[in-house]
Amino acid sequence: MSSTSAAGSEELTQEELLQHYRVMRTIREFEERVHREFATGDIPGFVHLYAGEEAIAAGVCACLREDDYITSTHRGHGHAIAKGCDVIGMMAEIFGRRTGLSKGKGGSMHIADFGLGMLGANGIVAGGSPLICGVGLSAKIRGTDQVGVTFAGDGASNQGMFLESLNLASIWNANCIFVVENNGYAEATASTYHQGGIDVAKRADGFGMPGVVVDGSDFFAVHEAAGEAISRARAGGGPTLLECKTVRFFGHFEGDAQTYRGENEVENARVQRDPLTRFEEQASAAGLVSEEALRAIDDEVAALIDEAVEQARAAPEPQAADLLTDVYINY
Amino acid sequence: MQPLTVGVIANPASGRDIRRLVTGGSVFDNAEKASMVFRLLVGLGAAGVERVLMMPAADGLGAGVARRYRNRGQVLSGSRCPELQILDWVPTGTEEDTLRAVGAMCDAGVAAIAVLGGDGTHRLVARECGNVPLCALSTGTNNTFPEMREATVAGLAMGLLATERVDPSDTTVVRERSLGVSVTGSERADLALVDVAAVASHFVGARALWKPDDVSELVVAFANPSAVGLSAVAGQLEPTRRGDEGVYVRFAPLEEAAIVVDVPLAPGFVTRMGIREHRRLSLGDVVVLSPGAGTIALDGERTFGRSLDDRVSVRLASGPLRIDVDAVMAAAGRQRALPTYLPSTLMKELI
Repeated sequence: MSSTSAAGSEELTQEELLQHYRVMRTIREFEERVHREFATGDIPGFVHLYAGEEAIAAGVCACLREDDYITSTHRGHGHAIAKGCDVIGMMAEIFGRRTGLSKGKGGSMHIADFGLGMLGANGIVAGGSPLICGVGLSAKIRGTDQVGVTFAGDGASNQGMFLESLNLASIWNANCIFVVENNGYAEATASTYHQGGIDVAKRADGFGMPGVVVDGSDFFAVHEAAGEAISRARAGGGPTLLECKTVRFFGHFEGDAQTYRGENEVENARVQRDPLTRFEEQASAAGLVSEEALRAIDDEVAALIDEAVEQARAAPEPQAADLLTDVYINY
Repeated sequence: MQPLTVGVIANPASGRDIRRLVTGGSVFDNAEKASMVFRLLVGLGAAGVERVLMMPAADGLGAGVARRYRNRGQVLSGSRCPELQILDWVPTGTEEDTLRAVGAMCDAGVAAIAVLGGDGTHRLVARECGNVPLCALSTGTNNTFPEMREATVAGLAMGLLATERVDPSDTTVVRERSLGVSVTGSERADLALVDVAAVASHFVGARALWKPDDVSELVVAFANPSAVGLSAVAGQLEPTRRGDEGVYVRFAPLEEAAIVVDVPLAPGFVTRMGIREHRRLSLGDVVVLSPGAGTIALDGERTFGRSLDDRVSVRLASGPLRIDVDAVMAAAGRQRALPTYLPSTLMKELI
């Protein structure tokens, strides 16, 4: 599930296309399964599902190297999968089991794998934004061309931390990309109510960095724009704000009755703005992938997620003594 | 009797594409678009238009206009403002919104349609508007078809024509050219207002066309030497007037080119392009693009893919009607359409 291409704007090979589809299909299958498993009552805590937004995580992370970094959000499963996190360990974490990526002590909103550059989902809205400035500063001090990408929602883009981070990244000319996943709602509040100016990308102008809007349901649009932004940052061109207009297929959290959404809004989005369908249509029309290859990936991914759930359910829970471990680290 | 009505299409998605990243284009915010629509409405009302139909927008542009209209109407209480009616359906955030809105406006018998967007938005409107004249206002990046203009004046001009205080003529309402695009063996039929380009890229991706090496052939409806974008290439080789001749250009790698030309392909981005051949096109001429896999760009945006087997034809055809705001306002001055002479002034004139 690791990243496959260091430059987003180049023509993609068949192997790369299939890998990107596999990432998106894994996210979708993972989230649909968590949706069903959560309804059984066996998953502790909250989960916020990423289905519908797959093209963003996959499109951005496809342009990153393994030694690049991301910071994520409360809706972080997709980012973690796209950055290469082990889905067996992720599922175990969500079930609160000792074999989870955070030893079952963090749950959905604290999935991380520092070795892969996944610096963590984050329960604090916009909490990942200042962290990525640290990544950018670190790369600058160490003289590397590593890039940091932070994901944030449209609600997070109203937070002071987010705006302060844009400023920090700008004055440091840091290798930071701010990806705003604008799904039209901050929890249950529509962006038309909470967001002055409508377009988050416009806010980049105030901090002297480029701001771009792309269709977040189109993998190729995200991939092209993210690739250019990341290449630009790596070459010393500084930060970018990339706003991806998207749709979430589930509620803000599992259990959200979504009374604030329009009639058939989600159903229409599933028909018209499904990132996987759009990817398949375009890649097939270009004659670059076969349906057989895509269906084979579907089967493999379904088996992987089955295995992840089976292993998670069988795994032990953390013990009381585990509460005292992993709290402090000596550097 | 039906109130005198015009339509407004404001594209919430124009002006924010990838060229902000790879070139020097700036962001055109929806708040400014809402402000433009408001100023347009003030001009329309002053000229006597009674009702405006507006496309609903997924990104809240329509709500922004309505809020501004509601709040500012109190400040501008002396202004005559038309009734604002935002078409009543939930927008999809896709091109379908524009096409559906133009259809609804035409069905409602609008006198004209104001379009706020880039070349791409105008292209969509032109597909559906028939002989309803357009007032073409730029809010995009590489705009060649619409113009940058104060919306208040554009509203006045539209209103003067709609109320027939200025007579429509072939100078105030001009017939543009278009490029009809068809693919052999396919039902696809589309049009462009400025240019059609053959592009090597397999995917429409971020849509905006900004890589010169990707373009192999170009057909323009008019060749504007002062444009930004592909039309400028043809404009430097074979400049033509709007509504007259088109131009065909075949590109070549720089080392094989017969001519090289430096062109502003996007704001803040001047690049060198190699030319193998070019020629003028007359109304009705058809160009069959060379076979090749990739995408076809219409008015600067990659729009659809094509395979090696597809034969893409481009025909220089008659296009939509466009309101020439300068010509309308000049005619208004000559015809004294806007001034109202008070009795005392009239007496002085008579004396």
